[in-house]
Amino acid sequence: MTSHCHAALIVADNAVTLTFIEPVFDIVRMGPGISQARRLSVGGNRNGVSPGDGPLPGYGGLPGGGALPVLPALGELLPGGLARGSVVVAGHWSLLALALAAGASVAGAWCAVAGVPQLGVSAAAGVGLDPARLLLVPDPGTAWPQVVASLLDGCELVLLRPPGRAPATVRRRLEAVLRRCGGVLVVAGDWDGAQARLLITRQEWSGIEPGHGRLRARRVLVAADGRGAAARARTRWLWLPGPDGSVGPADQTVTDIRDAG
Amino acid sequence: MTAPSPVRVLVLWCPDWPLDPDSARVDPDGARVDPDGARAFEQVVSLVEELCPRVEVLHSGACAIGARGPARYFGGEQALAGKIIETVTGGGFACSAGVADGLFAARLAARAAAPGTVTVVPPGQAPEFLAPYPVSVLDSEELTELLPRLGIVTLGEFARLPASQAVNRFGTPGGTAHRLARGLDPRPLAARPPAADLAVSVAFDPPAELAEPVVFAAKALAEQMHDGLAGRGLACVRVQVQVISADGQEHARLWRHDGLLSALAVAERVRWQLASWRPGPAPPGSASPGSASPGPAPPDSASPGGIALLRLVPDQVVRAHGRQLGLWGDAVVSDRVARAALRVQAMLGHGAVTRPVPAGGRSPAEQATLVPFGDTSDPERPPDRPWPGRIPAPVPATVCQDPLPARVADATGAPVTVTGRARVSAPPARMSADGGPWLAITAWAGPWPVAERWWRPQGVRRRARFQLVTEDGAAWLAAVQDGRWQIEARYD
Repeated sequence: MTSHCHAALIVADNAVTLTFIEPVFDIVRMGPGISQARRLSVGGNRNGVSPGDGPLPGYGGLPGGGALPVLPALGELLPGGLARGSVVVAGHWSLLALALAAGASVAGAWCAVAGVPQLGVSAAAGVGLDPARLLLVPDPGTAWPQVVASLLDGCELVLLRPPGRAPATVRRRLEAVLRRCGGVLVVAGDWDGAQARLLITRQEWSGIEPGHGRLRARRVLVAADGRGAAARARTRWLWLPGPDGSVGPADQTVTDIRDAG
Repeated sequence: MTAPSPVRVLVLWCPDWPLDPDSARVDPDGARVDPDGARAFEQVVSLVEELCPRVEVLHSGACAIGARGPARYFGGEQALAGKIIETVTGGGFACSAGVADGLFAARLAARAAAPGTVTVVPPGQAPEFLAPYPVSVLDSEELTELLPRLGIVTLGEFARLPASQAVNRFGTPGGTAHRLARGLDPRPLAARPPAADLAVSVAFDPPAELAEPVVFAAKALAEQMHDGLAGRGLACVRVQVQVISADGQEHARLWRHDGLLSALAVAERVRWQLASWRPGPAPPGSASPGSASPGPAPPDSASPGGIALLRLVPDQVVRAHGRQLGLWGDAVVSDRVARAALRVQAMLGHGAVTRPVPAGGRSPAEQATLVPFGDTSDPERPPDRPWPGRIPAPVPATVCQDPLPARVADATGAPVTVTGRARVSAPPARMSADGGPWLAITAWAGPWPVAERWWRPQGVRRRARFQLVTEDGAAWLAAVQDGRWQIEARYD
């Protein structure tokens, strides 16, 4: 049972608008919510998620197949999306970790963020995480493995910033939970044996210069590698965030964005 | 839709209670009720309970009793009300009372009475009593706005509309309001009495010494009760909380519910009830609510000997009109998510699992409110207002809960300062955040002066904000206030 995620990007007036995400299933019945074209404004007022725009019908609406969808901009780095039952490392805590979780949230999944008391909720909403389907456990404390295991029972994606390098026993236990419940763990930090690993290797801000302008957009070079299907190393330039606040592929020919900005 | 006229109700109202009774209604979340006020009000309730057994707490500052039985015993409604006012005033609490057909009229009557007196609306005369009141007393924003525009200003005019018209035009809330305006009960009582299996209870063995486990069990118990009610399409107007201690003493209290309380809000009322309960006869409370005396017992301890049984009994069961569906706020939370969140709450405490609610504000930290899972909340600062001076997009991914101390120096190594006219002493050249290593600044923007809340003497904040980009490619949101630099957020 496979599922594909088709998304269309329309670039108009310098604003990238994600117009629809339409999973196509082989056998699965489509939930009523997900079969409709769904408009998600990545640009405008991303603080106000109206209830009418509300969640897709929970678990019924998400692809039950082998992977959770990722944002189109990350599709080339993670072909096939986030494999269910896998651990994905996103390097240090950054917008990249939130962007990794955003695709699943857009498709209707519940996400939890554990161990990030300093999470910028507006930034999370900006890259596409729906605050209405977000649980936060800012300080899980020393019992964080149990907390993450409990969260994985309810949420399909848990974003974790562990307090340090997780011991092997803890990792094995959580990986067993992941396989059982088919969730995805996105780790902002270290995790030996993760299935996929994304790192920001370079970042360049545009729009700001000594004494004038302001931060407008950031181009980042993201390197991805991993095991199995994700083994081939890839790098891509991304806007994270772009001039309109969204995540998108950046033009590779622009080498010095200060000239372009 | 004829119905017998409502039962006689006496409402006792303490006008000076911290919670404004005019705007008071049962809070779905229970969080906005001042818990100290609620606990202190228990003393008033105990005084009333010495005279009549079944007291229903409407909100802190107001309680109601069925007047028929006690009035017979004390020789009339006037005498009953006089007796209650005398007892409560003797305890140090100013109050007034109203007796009328139904709770709605009795509440208004109590408010109409001068302090220390009682207004009695004779049986059958509630419609006449209510007629001159403005429609705003119906506590429905929609109707309060709509009816005057249609030329309907008073309850009497509203009551003259045919009932079917009221329902057709204004829906279920309109029908309810119309019944109130006619001096009837808001909803016809369900024909059958609450079946015994709607009551739920949990036994503690060994008896619970502390309040906390009882309150925690109450949450699950309330969910069980709500499920039982919802499964039959019912809601309860009131819930009776019965607590039985190991030595056999029983403490029961009625709480207004109206199908609006979440399980958590019910648990919160159990907490208040436990905090106020000391077994044995309660001496009259002498402290006034203004002196903010805590409950008679420390809030963490249950009764001596422990609590053996907790029972929740739905009282006055009515047909549900779907109002109790808002238990989790606007988004539908699947059972699976709720179970996971509750399990983590059981491990770490209620406040450890939160849901973000977008809020308004200028600084990144103000732009979201975290609400404990299970509570509902309206943002204190609405997000859809203009917040001049707010930080322009992009928004930082890392928002420091407490700003980090920082040092920013110019090329000569001297600290960078900002004058009152928002001029920088010298271009910032390097910075160190939270005692970290010095980093060269490659680009910067600012200062953007902010003077927030200048209308509040203690709340004024005069700051100047900067965006700084350092040699490692990191971007920071920094602010300088009174010569001190702080990192507010980082664009990770």
